[in-house]
Amino acid sequence: MAHVVQPLDQPSNYKDSQARVDRQKQNEMLDRSSTLYIGNLSFYTTEEQIYELFSKCASPDHGGGIKRIIMGLDRNTRTPCGFCFVEYYTHAEALACMRYISGTKLDERIVRCDLDLGYKEGRQFGRGKSGGQVRDEHRQDYDPGRGGWGAQAQKLEIERRREVEERYADTTGIVANGGGDWKETETISATNGKLKRGRSPADEGDGARMGQRARMDDDVDAERM
Amino acid sequence: MSYDRRGGGRRRYRDDYDDRRREYHETPEEKLRLSIIKFGEVDALAELPRVEKQIREYVPLNISNLSEAFRFSVTEQPYKIPYYASLLRALHEQPDASDGPSLGRQILEDLWKGFQSYLDKLAWREARLCIQFFAHLTMAKVVSPDSMISLLQAFTSVLDEFGVSNGRAKRAAMCAAEGLMFAGPVIKAHSALAVTDIINAIQAYNDTMSNPTWLVQPTTEAHQESIVFDFADELLDTILRALRTLNESDFSEIASIIPQPYASYPEPDSSFSPFNLPAVLVPPEVIEIDGLSVDSETDIQVRKEEWPEFYVRLFDNEITPDPTTPTGYVIRTALLDIVEIYEVNRKECARLLLEYPKWNLPGAFKPKPGAPVESDPVEGKDWQLESTILETILGAYLVLPAPSGEPLYYSSLITELCKLSPSTVGPAVGKSIRKLYGFLSEGLDVESARKFAEWFAIHMSNFNFQWVWREWIPDLSSPVQHPKRTFIQRAVEYEVRLSYHDRILKTLPEAMQAPDAYLITERAPGPNFEYDDPSNPYHESAQTVLNLIRGRAKAEDVIANLETLKTTLENADEPINVNSVVRSITVGSLLHIGSRSFSHLLNAIERYLPLLRSISSASLSTSGGGGSPEAKADILTGVASFWQTNRQMIGIVFDKLMQYQIVDPTDVVAWVFSQETSIGEPRVLGGPSSIGTHEWDLLKGALDKANGRVVIAKRKVVALRKEDDDTRGRAKATANAMEVDADKPEEESPTVDNPQLNTALKALSTLTQEQKGVLARTLEGFVAYLAPSPTNHRANPATRTVITVQGWSERANWGSDEWAAWETWGWYRHFCRAYSPYLRNYTNTLSAVSFSRFEGASDPAAELLKKTWNVATGQA
Repeated sequence: MAHVVQPLDQPSNYKDSQARVDRQKQNEMLDRSSTLYIGNLSFYTTEEQIYELFSKCASPDHGGGIKRIIMGLDRNTRTPCGFCFVEYYTHAEALACMRYISGTKLDERIVRCDLDLGYKEGRQFGRGKSGGQVRDEHRQDYDPGRGGWGAQAQKLEIERRREVEERYADTTGIVANGGGDWKETETISATNGKLKRGRSPADEGDGARMGQRARMDDDVDAERM
Repeated sequence: MSYDRRGGGRRRYRDDYDDRRREYHETPEEKLRLSIIKFGEVDALAELPRVEKQIREYVPLNISNLSEAFRFSVTEQPYKIPYYASLLRALHEQPDASDGPSLGRQILEDLWKGFQSYLDKLAWREARLCIQFFAHLTMAKVVSPDSMISLLQAFTSVLDEFGVSNGRAKRAAMCAAEGLMFAGPVIKAHSALAVTDIINAIQAYNDTMSNPTWLVQPTTEAHQESIVFDFADELLDTILRALRTLNESDFSEIASIIPQPYASYPEPDSSFSPFNLPAVLVPPEVIEIDGLSVDSETDIQVRKEEWPEFYVRLFDNEITPDPTTPTGYVIRTALLDIVEIYEVNRKECARLLLEYPKWNLPGAFKPKPGAPVESDPVEGKDWQLESTILETILGAYLVLPAPSGEPLYYSSLITELCKLSPSTVGPAVGKSIRKLYGFLSEGLDVESARKFAEWFAIHMSNFNFQWVWREWIPDLSSPVQHPKRTFIQRAVEYEVRLSYHDRILKTLPEAMQAPDAYLITERAPGPNFEYDDPSNPYHESAQTVLNLIRGRAKAEDVIANLETLKTTLENADEPINVNSVVRSITVGSLLHIGSRSFSHLLNAIERYLPLLRSISSASLSTSGGGGSPEAKADILTGVASFWQTNRQMIGIVFDKLMQYQIVDPTDVVAWVFSQETSIGEPRVLGGPSSIGTHEWDLLKGALDKANGRVVIAKRKVVALRKEDDDTRGRAKATANAMEVDADKPEEESPTVDNPQLNTALKALSTLTQEQKGVLARTLEGFVAYLAPSPTNHRANPATRTVITVQGWSERANWGSDEWAAWETWGWYRHFCRAYSPYLRNYTNTLSAVSFSRFEGASDPAAELLKKTWNVATGQA
């Protein structure tokens, strides 16, 4: 059903000018992606608020669910700077968000979803000159959710600001995995007292720690709205 | 930011890159196709001659291009079907009296192939819309009545199939019924018998459905034997009533229900021969061989729809059309088709819904306020468009056990409608909310009520949380468990989750903020680490553990510390369950450092998986296998205690503990049923065991996790099998090729077992066992709650009274126990119908275990438990 109207679950034409994979490869990745980039968040919106809304597109009975949420942070201050990644277990869930969540409000702001190539270490940080997103670097309008509310509500926001400011102070850059598919527990019992540092079962195959490649994505999120 | 800002630049950022995509030029053929698809958007009748000319004059003739354009138009813009019938009728004429088949006939022949392929795929909606098109063509004398009747009979014969599924029968009945409705006048004139045959076939099928109907009615009136509804109607019932009414007037009424633009065409001359639709057979359903043959995602989808469909009715017949009348049925189906087809683009969908009156007859809907009145209202019509749309969308959203689309779609669609026309849709939303709220005390089903609260909160989240809470203050005098009060509490809680505590608190009137209203906690729903309190006897011990974890000590060091702590506690005077205390301290400490955000939680869990595994074992010290049920229950209790003011977090932590395999879904189910009070706050202490919405959410989380794992495991097996087959095929091909050179024996082809496949099969069998265990434990839990044995000290005394006719009639005097019992019954019903596809796989074993103790006894609760179970598992 796409002969009469354009479906909403198409990835945008956003192009990462620094990506080393070609357009075709990128499209192939997007066709399978279970990660979303979420933009235009308020700086004060919490992961739990994001979880609440995005869990409505989760389909755990089909093997899905929210795998993890990666909050976009100001490079310098380690405070949320208005974007995040939501990673599901299935592609279908990400598509559902494109159709039903993108363009609706979260925390009283209209958020935008876009299919994403997938999170890589380092991408959680803003790349604007001052540490946040590029769009906030050049923005001309007054946007209360990304810097402070006016008048009456200002006090509330300052309260909330205080809470969030502390929250990510301890961030190490290592991001949790969210847990993998179910696996036989025998391997676990095999450790029998000999304890190793805990890893999620899905970690092995993921190849998530790609430190040296992080730079290719440097500006990806920062440029996006 | 508000929605009012519209116009230029809204999507600017989308098109900043890759402008090349937009510079794409259409080929002449595509242009022709587009003008067929866009036909009628301004004025169909005026456009028709132009489009007809364009089609006729286009060279070279490409029939498949034309028929495809017609097919897409008919199946994706069903509101325009009558006009496409007119266009085809025009193309069916031979203006220059040339020989050979007319253009219209050639298109129709090709379009028929498209219809056949929809049918082969069992694409029911597309097939049905093609049938509507054929029905209009029958009216336009393009299609012969005989062949149309045979077509419809092919669908009614589906209803006689042995063991036909509800979903298949329902769709086949809709195909036959709608074909008959639109071609009724011609069919009746041709064969009155054919008409009664079709109606009787649908009636006969519907007569067999009374039990399933009972289970999915939108009221939890458990006692009801016969079904009487004031505020909902069932799909096949409405079809039958509409058909009967039409039949009484020989279907003449249909001309006042839908446009028949072709009706003004002159009688065709004798050379005009009608098209005979070829005979069809509706292909049989795809049967799963071993449960693995088809894609699991679609196979569950099909099962989900296998119930009668009840649509909640929100407005009076003067405001929205009565769906049991022919007009009402046609309008609702037309709107539902738009809702379903345009699911891919809710913004377009909203626009098309609000434009719907353009495609119906003039005078059906009230004109927009301020718009010029172009036609007089028609007697018995003159409905409110926005209320009709809202009633249709909410009706579809509240279908039980689950809507056909994603639940969130319906909310988002309503939001778009409000954004398009706030002044007219807004009031319709408000009225719908009030009406649904009113149904709450009339027995609105618990799942419908939960979905209502969920939509309410999302809607308010999109519109500044503006609701006139004040008008519901009087209901605070009802018992705490009264459905209206639980609704308000839930709606507020969901709003807080989407926003934040202080923001929502401000929107509530004072009476609702009060602690004794049990609607909202006084402070923001933060963590509660009980050992933070210096007066707590384990304060010191907990600080040690917390500091170790906070300092990112190695897991083994923490475990070693716990051993020491255990020894200390064992030597203390008070007789305590040392292991439980140690687990509680550990879980609390871990959650404490993970309490800043969801990501912090995941990091804490991942860093200390060995620690969690260690405390999930019986003795704390070994990190061995599956762990002990008591230990896991202690962990879950620790979570519920730490997040007692934040039910969302309880759900999230449980989910991730299952994901990381610290606890199993069965542990969660067992834990939920072992709780003495309701879980989380705000709550009233002292009530007996019951399952409320929050408890249900936790059960659902566990059930879905277990079922989802089976789905994943199946997918893996299917993929590996396919891979295996491919490898084998390739190897065989190579072997065969080599055989040309050397005569090698056949055995060379690889028959070695694929170890990956074996592992996957083993996992599937383990997970299937786990799935069975979760279902069994849930059923057992409900049975123990609802038909408690006399010795059960925390049993709800009301579970047997609320299901009697008398009990229900006295509900005005019910207290919290009664309403809690009633709600528990409601969730049991929902469990049975929602998980019926899974339960059916284990019908015998599960019922044997749970229901055996009732044998020979006469207990109304046992009877109802068994009846519900039997209906859900298809045994009654």
